[in-house]
Amino acid sequence: MKMWARVKALFMRKQLEMDLEDELTFHLTQREEKKRAAGIAAEEAKYAARREFGNATRVKEICREMWSFASLETFWRDLRYGARALGKNPGFTVAAVMAMALGIGVNTGIFSVLNGVALRLLPIPKAEQIVSVDQIFHGKLSRNVHGEPELFSYPEYKNYRDHNHVFTGLLAYEPFLEATLGGESPAQLMGAAASCNYFDVLGERPELGRVFVDADCNAPGASAVVVLSDDLWRSRFGADPSIVGKSVSLNRAKFVVIGIAAPGFGGLDPWPSAFWAPVTMQKELEPARGFLNEDNTGWLGMLGRMEGGVSIEEVRSDLRVIAARIDEQYPGRTTTLVVHRASFMGRPEERTVVFAIGGVVLAAVGLVLLIACANVANLLLARASARQKEIVIRLSIGGSRWQIVRQLLTESLLIAFLGGALGSLVAFWSMEGIAQFVLAHLPHGSPRLVWNVNPDLRVWGYSLALTALTGIVFGLAPALHATRQDLSTAIKEDSAGLTGKTGSGGFLRSTLVGMQVAVCMILLIAAGLLMRGLYMAQTVDPGFEMRGITQAIFDLPSQGYSEERARTFQRELIARVAALPGVDGVEQARVTPLNHQFMGTGVTLAGETEARQVEFNIVSPGFFTMLGMPIVRGRGFTKEETQADTGVMVVTESTARRLWPGGDAVGKTLRNFEKEEYQVVGVVRDAQASHLGEPGGIFIYMPAGPKEQANLQLLVHSKSGDSATANGIREAARTLDADLMVDVTKLEENLELWRTPSRIVAALSGALGTLALLLASIGVYGVVSYGVSQRIREIGIRMTLGADGKDVMTLLLRQAMRPVMIGAVVGVAGCAAVSQILSKVLYGIGSHDPIAFIGVPLFLLGIALLASYVPARRATRIDPVVALRYE
Amino acid sequence: MEKQGDLVQGTLDMLVLKALARGTKHGYAVAEWIHESSNDVLHVEEGALYPALHRLELRGLLSAEWGSSENNRRAKFYSLTKAGRKELAQEAEYWQRMSGAIARVMQMA
Repeated sequence: MKMWARVKALFMRKQLEMDLEDELTFHLTQREEKKRAAGIAAEEAKYAARREFGNATRVKEICREMWSFASLETFWRDLRYGARALGKNPGFTVAAVMAMALGIGVNTGIFSVLNGVALRLLPIPKAEQIVSVDQIFHGKLSRNVHGEPELFSYPEYKNYRDHNHVFTGLLAYEPFLEATLGGESPAQLMGAAASCNYFDVLGERPELGRVFVDADCNAPGASAVVVLSDDLWRSRFGADPSIVGKSVSLNRAKFVVIGIAAPGFGGLDPWPSAFWAPVTMQKELEPARGFLNEDNTGWLGMLGRMEGGVSIEEVRSDLRVIAARIDEQYPGRTTTLVVHRASFMGRPEERTVVFAIGGVVLAAVGLVLLIACANVANLLLARASARQKEIVIRLSIGGSRWQIVRQLLTESLLIAFLGGALGSLVAFWSMEGIAQFVLAHLPHGSPRLVWNVNPDLRVWGYSLALTALTGIVFGLAPALHATRQDLSTAIKEDSAGLTGKTGSGGFLRSTLVGMQVAVCMILLIAAGLLMRGLYMAQTVDPGFEMRGITQAIFDLPSQGYSEERARTFQRELIARVAALPGVDGVEQARVTPLNHQFMGTGVTLAGETEARQVEFNIVSPGFFTMLGMPIVRGRGFTKEETQADTGVMVVTESTARRLWPGGDAVGKTLRNFEKEEYQVVGVVRDAQASHLGEPGGIFIYMPAGPKEQANLQLLVHSKSGDSATANGIREAARTLDADLMVDVTKLEENLELWRTPSRIVAALSGALGTLALLLASIGVYGVVSYGVSQRIREIGIRMTLGADGKDVMTLLLRQAMRPVMIGAVVGVAGCAAVSQILSKVLYGIGSHDPIAFIGVPLFLLGIALLASYVPARRATRIDPVVALRYE
Repeated sequence: MEKQGDLVQGTLDMLVLKALARGTKHGYAVAEWIHESSNDVLHVEEGALYPALHRLELRGLLSAEWGSSENNRRAKFYSLTKAGRKELAQEAEYWQRMSGAIARVMQMA
């Protein structure tokens, strides 16, 4: 009934309008006649009737709205009106839309990256049913970890697989498995050892051949089969279908290729897998150590597919029972399980890092958006005062405040949506390219990554919500302000006010400018700090010599080398490399300096029971000399100490100071986990050989004895330090073992990986800071220009009365700079807090860097001064006569 | 003297329904009826009457028809529908209970 009446009314708009008119006229006429009949004069009767009736316009409006699909229809009307208003003022529209496009585009782009890295579901069928399971231990903990502490042991996995009631299948896989693919030129691959239900649980069909069956996982070492990725199949085997059934060599073990995974499938991590082997083949893939029978070694990630109708909460409570049962074997330990929808970077530790970084970056781009919003709000405010009369008239003829606010909000939403659509489209279109560019330019040594930054529903939703929110945020204050008029004064008010104030809305405008400056200041100082950090990272002296040194990295244990064979290999390799032309030194080290590998262990001081965590390296006697690290007390290692495994060590100066304060370290002893005693023979100067930018940790060196030979890497010094040396090393290694992967690079290249994060951050913050600065200076400029144009008559009068250009300039600048100064002070204070956080996240950044904290504000104030000077100067050039006539 | 503002919305609706209980009336007649039958105590601001009439019509409690008035003018006549009668009965019953209760409370010293 109601609906139908309205639909009818929609089509009979005119009729309805006339009827309403007739109905009210009839009433007024009747009343008027009655009054006249009572003897009241005709004119008086008419007015009395109207007075008794009240506001007829308002009554009509209420009725009209009742009869229409009020919201929809008024929205459509507001929209058309708004579009017309924007079209009439193209300069304003373009400026506002561009500001919004910049702000929203940057936000959407960053969010789509975060989404691609850590939010979107795995690229597999029905991914919403897949959950990842991780464990966090509390209490007394003794556990071996291979990879990350959240991972499970094989017996634990079998326990969960066989005793849960919530999964149709639970898979396990080893996420960090590297293997050398044998062949004419060996290649180092990332792969996975996976439970045999891996592909079935994920719902992945092979492109060719078959995937694992349960029988492949029956017994350790029994089924040497492998599934290759489509990517590897194409790049390495020319997409030859006959590869299925042939065997390939992985870490020198023969594996029969049984299938090729579907194109685009790269496993469950952002670093794509090139192959999958049954989990029971772990020992064959990593001959150094077998994990299958170890109850308390974490090395497997777990993902399960939930049965239909099972909730994540049910999964949690079901698995908790199993976890509690396992805990019973380890008194004093409790395990918490972390279960959530599976995505890339899903392990709790990874998530913490990704979300921390993502949060900081999103906050930064959010601030840029805030500045853009303030700009548009200011433009709207200026425009609202130009439309003052229109608004006042509408208010005084009975339009409600809400109606006008709604109209103004529709306009600002229109701007937001135009800008949001433009910005998001550009972001979607460019993000793919930017991601590719960044991934292609990661330094040597960082893993190959795959990001899918294409927008999905979540990204669209985010961008839509953000757009709507910004439309309301920047539109609401100006709309409320414009309608908060005292009707009588507003109508009377002269458009070019003569008061000393900046016109109406001056306070709101100043607040907006102050806020812009404050936010911009925070972004710029943060950017400044990061740039300084980058500069220091680029120029930092790590405290040792890198020039002319080439490193050769290889992994003998994974290639099945015994201790004996490793010794022979090392001896012969060193002999051959030392004989290369130009080479004047060959040394060994367990890890080469700054190679992002950290060896840690616990040691106990004499007279103490609690173990201390220390970092260590195992080096040959000439290591310190080659790297220019002087021994300041005692001596270095001798040749004899590397012939047998002797209990001596060299510590750094900081270590000596911290472990034996006030005394002489040389001669003191430490015990390692196995209670073996080590004696300090020398103290070496501090160097940033393990963590760049962090000198002063506890670091000890031990001699490279015969037992260590399988794990050592080579450092080669040559006069030229050029590619000839590198090729010579590769050639020498190939002669000894053609299947061994040897990674030969300059030692200096290790610095790149350390610098990349701060370089990316500095580039990002530099770009954002520039954007913020641009938007903020446009804001300051706009507000001062507007203020000047509002006060032209006042300026004219002042000048007629004898003020000169300088006085006017001073007056205008003083007023323009006041909000800027307040904003600057607030910004500096805010930034002190921000830098406290930054200095914890990024190395090399002092939280009170004077250059950033004094330089940036001065720079920003200069820009603001310039932005106000330009329009202010225009004001001083005004001819007083023209100014007085100015409307 | 009561003012229109003292009439809560629901009360105005009820009065309109009551006015139409005896038969079809146009808006002006509804206003006059409320006026007279309350001995000039209830003064409805006449403009407010029309939104109420239209609201009740949209709710299906009233039906409306155009016809000509006593003095041959085009006028919109409203009458109660079945649903309108039911609503009036409910409202009246509720009102009786409320006013009775309030009267009792006020009489207690």
